[in-house]
Amino acid sequence: MLVLLATASAVLLGGCGQSKEETKESPAARQYVIGMSQCNLGEPWRVQMNQDVKDAAAKHPELRVIFKDAQNDTLNQRSAVEEFISSKVDLLIISPKEAQPLTEPVARAVDAGIPVIVLDRALLGDKYTCFIGADNVKIGKAAGQWIVKKLGGKGNVVELEGLMTSIPGQDRHNGFREGIAGSGIDVIFQADMKWLEPNARTEMESALSRFDHIDLVYAHNDPGAHGAYLAAKAAGRDNIIFVGVDALPQEGVAYVQQGILDATFRYPTGGAEAIDTALKILKGESVPKKIVLGTRLFDKSNAASGGEPLP
Amino acid sequence: MKPSWWKSALASPAGRALLALLLVMAAGAVFNAQGAFFKIGTHRDALRQASVYGILACGMTLVIISGGIDLAVGSILALAAVCAAKMAIHWNWPAWEVVPGCLAVGMACGAVSGIVTASLRVQPFIATLAMMVFARGMAKYASGGMKVSTVVQNADGTYRYVEVPPLFRAIDHPILHGNLSMVTVIFLLCVAVAWVALSKHRWGRYLYAIGGNEEAARLSGVPVVGAKICAYVACGLFSAVAGLCQAAQEQQGDPEAGSGYELFAIAMVVIGGTSLMGGRGGIGLTLIGVLTIGYLDKILSINAVPEAGRLVLTGIIIVTAVLTQRRGRT
Repeated sequence: MLVLLATASAVLLGGCGQSKEETKESPAARQYVIGMSQCNLGEPWRVQMNQDVKDAAAKHPELRVIFKDAQNDTLNQRSAVEEFISSKVDLLIISPKEAQPLTEPVARAVDAGIPVIVLDRALLGDKYTCFIGADNVKIGKAAGQWIVKKLGGKGNVVELEGLMTSIPGQDRHNGFREGIAGSGIDVIFQADMKWLEPNARTEMESALSRFDHIDLVYAHNDPGAHGAYLAAKAAGRDNIIFVGVDALPQEGVAYVQQGILDATFRYPTGGAEAIDTALKILKGESVPKKIVLGTRLFDKSNAASGGEPLP
Repeated sequence: MKPSWWKSALASPAGRALLALLLVMAAGAVFNAQGAFFKIGTHRDALRQASVYGILACGMTLVIISGGIDLAVGSILALAAVCAAKMAIHWNWPAWEVVPGCLAVGMACGAVSGIVTASLRVQPFIATLAMMVFARGMAKYASGGMKVSTVVQNADGTYRYVEVPPLFRAIDHPILHGNLSMVTVIFLLCVAVAWVALSKHRWGRYLYAIGGNEEAARLSGVPVVGAKICAYVACGLFSAVAGLCQAAQEQQGDPEAGSGYELFAIAMVVIGGTSLMGGRGGIGLTLIGVLTIGYLDKILSINAVPEAGRLVLTGIIIVTAVLTQRRGRT
């Protein structure tokens, strides 16, 4: 018991000690401390976001980023923000789990003189410095339009949805329906696979056993599309086209290059843009209130060369 | 007067469990989604999707009969999946090294849970809850937070593609003219092994005794601590088998895999008729419970029932099944 307490205290004190050293730096070698509050690191996309922030910050030795993972707990994330405020970070980057419970803690950070960059999920109101995010409705619509073109205006499509109580899931669904509106595309089966690959495989198996003629599968994320692909392969159904979203380099883009997916659309993390914007803010420059990131299409022809940006 | 045959059938837990399964199958026949329920592919898939949960339920049955519970099965599944993927894909180990390596990881976690529960006398709920968190952390640590897949990063940051290991292909493989998944065969093997251990082996009788009345068992000379630890080790072993099957079916090791699977495993055991209090039940009952929940899921899936409806229906059916299990007990 005592050993555990001693170890825990050593770890905590070790962590605290480092940030205290930073504030004693001389103005000439001014180090900026940036706090990064991530809502969870369970999603590979968020692991990629943190990695993008880390890689971008590594190019600027005057930046030091402290990462906190809220493990998908809103109150945990609120505590992280409060801790950053009390340790007086120079700038806060936050990717909130939800808008309502985190709007006020972020507002308090702004009041304390800490500039705040919000990534990916928006907060309510406008008490933050800059919002950087992509538009899932636009991505869904781009996917829908690509699908209409690929299938020549008509076909049977299975839609495997991400968690439909989440905004990205709803946006990718609504955008997709907008994109295929007015065409002869028929969504014959849709199911909520909650972003998870095993669930996508199960739902795809159901679709395969129910429908003999499926032209294309649109999954709200690449793991879902991969699960559907494995289901189709196991059932011996070879002529189905698979489309996903996210396009992480080691996941979606790799699947396209391996011939597993026919297309995927990048949902950019905004990590690198966050660091660029942070540098501008710390130097005293003005930045736009909202930066909307574009998407890129990755298909067989352009996957190796970094995809094709879409307007 | 001799009771009618169906009354005596309903008096046994197996009879009641089978009734629940039959009702689910009947519902499937009625709501057959344009004939999909009658296709052999649907049954192959229903069994495939239930198999991983079923393997977990085999281990869970052993622990529950001994009067304990194991909340860590989902996390051990993830840790085993990550280890299996790392060994087979990244380190290129042959199958005869990957399988024991992966099972050893599960057994080690089970051993820790067992020792903390049985020797250190910590409540099983707490001990396995701690292992659940710990194993999940180990899985994320071992995988670096990302899925361990066939896309491997080189030193210079580019990616190379590795072949899916033959072991994984062998496990996620339809046999019998494509009508049965290998994973289902593995599940049935686990059921057989667990059944032999529980009903034919002395250790199985120890578990029933401990679950029925631990103090009386101890006084009768049953090696309580050793038997309990073995139960948790066995549960960890089955969790690792499940993790290996999961990794093979996803062709990757996902540190987030198995989240929430422990509740499914417990539900399958309970619906089968094994008592959560311990001392009563068996693997046969669990098998029926696995099929009941597996087919229920499949029927809801082929009928494209929206998510909210699925959750509500599944909850109602679980409670109903447990209540019918209670009635008629003398």
